[in-house]
Amino acid sequence: MKFGQAVKMAVKSILAKKGRSFLTMLGIIIGIASVMTIVATVSGYNQKMMEAFEAQGTNKITVSLYLNSGESGFEKVYDYCQGLGDDVIGVTPNSQAWSAVVKYGAKNSDTMEWQEQPRVYLGSDQYSKVNSFTVARGRDITKLDVEKYHQVCVLGARAAKTFFDYADPLNENIMIGGVPFTVVGIYAEKDAESSYSMDSVIVLPYTASRFMPNGGGDVSGECAVKVKDSQTINPVMQRIQAYLDGVTQNGDYGYGYAYSEQQWQDESSGMLTMISVVLGGIAGISLLVGGIGIMNIMLVTVTERTREIGIRRAIGAERSSIVTQFLVEAAMICGVGGVIGIIIGYGGTHLAGRLLFDGMSLYPSPEITLGAFAFSVSLGIIFGMYPAIKASGLQPVVALKAE
Amino acid sequence: MLITLKDVYKIYGEGLESEVRALNGVSLEIDYGEFVAIAGQSGSGKSTMMNVLGCLDIPTYGDYFLAGQDVSELDDKQLSHIRNKQIGFIFQGYNLIPSLTAVENVELPLIYQGVSAFDRRDMAMEALERVGLAARAKHHPGEMSGGQQQRVAIARAIAAHPPIIMADEPTGALDSKTGLEVLAFLQQLNKEGSTILLITHDNGIAATARRIVRLSDGKIIEDHEQEVDWL
Repeated sequence: MKFGQAVKMAVKSILAKKGRSFLTMLGIIIGIASVMTIVATVSGYNQKMMEAFEAQGTNKITVSLYLNSGESGFEKVYDYCQGLGDDVIGVTPNSQAWSAVVKYGAKNSDTMEWQEQPRVYLGSDQYSKVNSFTVARGRDITKLDVEKYHQVCVLGARAAKTFFDYADPLNENIMIGGVPFTVVGIYAEKDAESSYSMDSVIVLPYTASRFMPNGGGDVSGECAVKVKDSQTINPVMQRIQAYLDGVTQNGDYGYGYAYSEQQWQDESSGMLTMISVVLGGIAGISLLVGGIGIMNIMLVTVTERTREIGIRRAIGAERSSIVTQFLVEAAMICGVGGVIGIIIGYGGTHLAGRLLFDGMSLYPSPEITLGAFAFSVSLGIIFGMYPAIKASGLQPVVALKAE
Repeated sequence: MLITLKDVYKIYGEGLESEVRALNGVSLEIDYGEFVAIAGQSGSGKSTMMNVLGCLDIPTYGDYFLAGQDVSELDDKQLSHIRNKQIGFIFQGYNLIPSLTAVENVELPLIYQGVSAFDRRDMAMEALERVGLAARAKHHPGEMSGGQQQRVAIARAIAAHPPIIMADEPTGALDSKTGLEVLAFLQQLNKEGSTILLITHDNGIAATARRIVRLSDGKIIEDHEQEVDWL
């Protein structure tokens, strides 16, 4: 018997008992819809978080050192980090000038809403590399800018928009901490969705700290290090921490720390996966119940159709044809239930994103969708197996006598 | 020889007290093109005989050669193929599948032969035409009279042109006029070369066959050629 024939038979048999077929599907529909909603919501949320993390710069370690003596720890840290060797592919000062007011024309950062306020950072020519920025227009900060105390800056896409709207910022002078800086470049936009965005940075050569309020005294003395891959984050971080502990005598003379967002990104990602597994597993119980429902109804069907099976066997159906017929029927009930469940799961995931995560636009990934479909069909095959084998094992002579 | 049974036993139940010898040492030869009635009272073993001859059941002891092939050596799949291609069954209770239309029922043996949908429909319609039911091809068995249902069953038996037709009490559920039509049709098939095995308890019906084999208590008590009432 050809497979297409088995499919036709299954369609016929399912349509012949629509009400029963639908009730049987219901278990699968509910199970697939709930598992899918949970897994897709959690993994979708995780995905968005990862994207936000990645926008901050991947494989990045931030290092700070504060000394009780009041001496700046920055120089020590920056020198040390530049000598870290091959695992490190970029080092930059990464200090935020908290109190630097930015002005251009009538725009003044002091009077802006916090979401709009630019964040002024001091960096080297490697700032963009370490923080995963690319230059969209103009040029990046250069070594020469650093060495020669050039009063230049590069704007994040959002900062450029805030101060210049649709005007061209290149070669305009912008007042930062009361000192003019010429805009030489603009970074490409990174994360349009986040409200506290990396795109609102304004980056100056770090040697410009001398122009900052208080002679640079308000500048946080941080550095950032980019390592070559995620495996090297921890070893490098440990080395830096050991150095910092040495300098501060384990905290006696100040404090220093090295941290990576990767750390808690991994932690939170791991936790979300755990939540997804636990909740998905609980919802999965309903799938198990649905599967048992399929098995039950297929057993009833086989009993009801014993005579039909006898007739088919008598006129030449092989055992395998009977197995195929009932397996395809079970797989089809589950497959159709799975598709309906997936559609509901799409709605559920979207709704969960809107309600639970502040209007986040979540949809199940193609992998989850395909996985859910494959899972529901295999559920039919697994739970249809026993009834199908039972049907094929009927002796034709005995089955023909059934009423 | 088309069919050779050598000392065949079919024993149900175990132990001397409870065992039932439905076939108790039967030997029989049937040649190509014969029309044989297997007659006997209820409980004589004739239905068991048909099951064994039709490869629906296997003997407990003894040999069954079908067209020279030792049937006991065949597995379930090969037996299915024999039932599918070599034998057309006509059952007493019609045994049509109620959810399928007449033509779909007739197509069944062709489906399991893997005949393409197009050829299948042609062959099934041809068989329905032969039994005079082409006009009712799309009707379900429940919408037909007993005689019509039995004609659909005959069409199903002949659709794949098997060399052997086995009919188990084919007239049992029919009125005498319709029954005679069915018997006449079997005689016609025999004239065209099919080997016909007709299982019946009714001597009048057995009289339509050229050879009669009578069973009693699982043994052959009579086996002879006879003059035939051509219908």
